[in-house]
Amino acid sequence: MPSVPVALVPGTVAPVPEGADGSDPDDGERTIIAFFCRECAYAAADATGNARIPLPTTVRSVLVPCTGRVSPLHVLSALAEGADGVFVAGCLEGQCHYREGNLSALDRIAFVQRLLESVGVEPERVQMFTMSANDSPRFVAATRRMHATISGLPRLSRR
Amino acid sequence: MPLTARGREMLGSLPGVAPKTATDGIGCEIVRHEELCIGCGRCVKVCPSAAIAESALFDPLQLYDAPAGTTRGALASALRRIARHEPDGSFEVPDRVRTFRTIEFDRDRCLGCGACTRACPTGAVTARPVDGTGPGWLAATESFASAVPA
Repeated sequence: MPSVPVALVPGTVAPVPEGADGSDPDDGERTIIAFFCRECAYAAADATGNARIPLPTTVRSVLVPCTGRVSPLHVLSALAEGADGVFVAGCLEGQCHYREGNLSALDRIAFVQRLLESVGVEPERVQMFTMSANDSPRFVAATRRMHATISGLPRLSRR
Repeated sequence: MPLTARGREMLGSLPGVAPKTATDGIGCEIVRHEELCIGCGRCVKVCPSAAIAESALFDPLQLYDAPAGTTRGALASALRRIARHEPDGSFEVPDRVRTFRTIEFDRDRCLGCGACTRACPTGAVTARPVDGTGPGWLAATESFASAVPA
């Protein structure tokens, strides 16, 4: 049985921020939803957890069989339901276990970024990173970079 | 689509019909329901007269018309919740995003054959017999068949 990534280890997960609507938009901790490919990014997260490398507690991971499964609806629903940012982490280009799922994901994320831009939401709230299964440093860098980006933005306001 | 000389001659022999193009009085009228269209491009592939084209652009306003209960409707309601203003114009869709494209329909090139109606997965394209000016699809076919020399 695979061990869970460190973001899911008890004690490292921050409580879900309350008052996402109506409260001071700059108040409280951000929430980032991360979609991890089972073949690479999840393994990298696993290795990071095993090495006890601290990660930002804002990141909540979601395991997907391939990043090609992530549709624009997944990303937008996450944002609409309380996430301040979403990132997708998949295999390096050309190394997808399903041939081209990660390439589809790259384009879908670009599509969502343009969609967000057209309604006045910062496109950098949604990003995609690629990494190999044993590239724990790259995973940590991606996670921290996403955390820094989202922390620099105000809370996402919702209707 | 221009008619061949033979076709023009055959159509000209029909009573009460003065055709200029193949669409006159023969085909169905194609009605597109843009709010149901998912931009999959299947109608583009089957159209025999290249009357339908797939644009590389997408207008997010199209999403807002999608009925609730569909994937696009869900996408629109999620987008509405986080939107800071109304969508401001079209943008280019990346290559590998195969849906979410604006479909352009050129009515003047349409033959009214109904191939797009059969190909459409969401029922966004319907065909109805031409009424009023034309004799209608069935009547036109019958009179055409009877006018063709055996």
